[in-house]
Amino acid sequence: MNHSWQQARQRYQEIETPPELDFAVASALRAGEKKRRQRRGVRRSLSAGLAACACFALLVNTSPTFAHAVSQVPVLGDLARVITVAQYTVEDQDHLIDVRLPALDLAGDTDLEQRINTEISTRIDQVLREAEERARETRQAFVDTGGDSAEFMPIVISVDYEIKCQSEQFLSFVLTKTETHASAYTEYYSYNIDLQAGREITLRDLFGDHYKEHINAAIAREIEERSQNPDNIYFIQGEGGFTSIADDQRFYLDQDGTPVIVFEKYEIAPGFMGMQEFPIPLPEAR
Amino acid sequence: MEQHKGQQLTEYIVAHQEEFYRLAFSYVKNRDAALDVVQESIVKALSRADSLRQPQYMKTWFYRILLNESMNHYRRGKRLVPLETVPDAPAPTGDPADRLDLYAAIDRLSPQEQAVIRLRFFEDMKLEEIAQVTGANLNTVKSRLYKSLRKLRELTGEEVAT
Repeated sequence: MNHSWQQARQRYQEIETPPELDFAVASALRAGEKKRRQRRGVRRSLSAGLAACACFALLVNTSPTFAHAVSQVPVLGDLARVITVAQYTVEDQDHLIDVRLPALDLAGDTDLEQRINTEISTRIDQVLREAEERARETRQAFVDTGGDSAEFMPIVISVDYEIKCQSEQFLSFVLTKTETHASAYTEYYSYNIDLQAGREITLRDLFGDHYKEHINAAIAREIEERSQNPDNIYFIQGEGGFTSIADDQRFYLDQDGTPVIVFEKYEIAPGFMGMQEFPIPLPEAR
Repeated sequence: MEQHKGQQLTEYIVAHQEEFYRLAFSYVKNRDAALDVVQESIVKALSRADSLRQPQYMKTWFYRILLNESMNHYRRGKRLVPLETVPDAPAPTGDPADRLDLYAAIDRLSPQEQAVIRLRFFEDMKLEEIAQVTGANLNTVKSRLYKSLRKLRELTGEEVAT
């Protein structure tokens, strides 16, 4: 390459990037991600609607009592629903925060409703406080090590929820918090409610006293199975791999009411494997 | 999988934001307009991430969006040239004193020709990649490159062979 090309190339590479670039990119990423979610959200709620209908039809056919009960309830979902009570956005130099806050609306069981709603809002408050604290610390560290504070890349936090199962008997939803700063990390909180008994469901309720042994064996088998594919890698037992579910193991119920055990990214497998989910079929006789 | 793709794309964009800004700036010649172009391209890319089927084409796929945005702004902006950026040299005459340096001469090319030159010589892209970015076939890219180099030679009066 001759001299004048070298010069021209150098001038091009010397085009100065403004300090606002980081911030502009981060907020554009957030806006784009939001747009994408909106598009997919429409599709998701459509398919959830269809699945609910299928589930509904099945129950009506198999249970005369249910059919009778439904005839008196004009709209399914009057008994319990999850509603969005707050939706807001915070945007400043340190962080971009997007929150869609759910609340439970249970007809007739205000105690349970209140307890869960308080827990959700306390949890979100705490999560956001911690995130703000962390954003401040990260920014301070960035400036202390010689970074220009105007170039600080804001932390992006998004809080959202997804309803996993909603039937006459069960209501299951998952609250997620995603924090993005160079790489993304999501935390999950699940809520599973037995509408008829009016309380939260535990794995013990579903699988009996030996629920741990039963579930552990099923997960171990499934890990074995998935590891047949060389693309799937799990941590080895004894080196951070799966040994047993926790006492307060996270799970949700899918549309059919099957419990799904959830492990966060890095919990039992390397990061590229993402979040790991294990559906555990319920025992036949229950 | 979808989530994974979105994250890959986010990481790619964050890592290469300065290159995107430079390419946008080389067209629009204005800081705020260049920032706008980068932002609009990112929003478009993310909201259409589902149309990116194979991740190995992420780079050319994103550059295509960025280049389109840059050219749109460039065309709109041409009718409104701020005073300080009015090109100081008139069309080249035979007089060697009026000749442009190579960097300034590139701005005299058509937007498509500018793209080929910048992507090839400043971003080190292969001709196949440039074809994907500009949506032209390989032969068109080759002849555009040849034509641009000839024009640059006339504009600078120099041998600009590479």
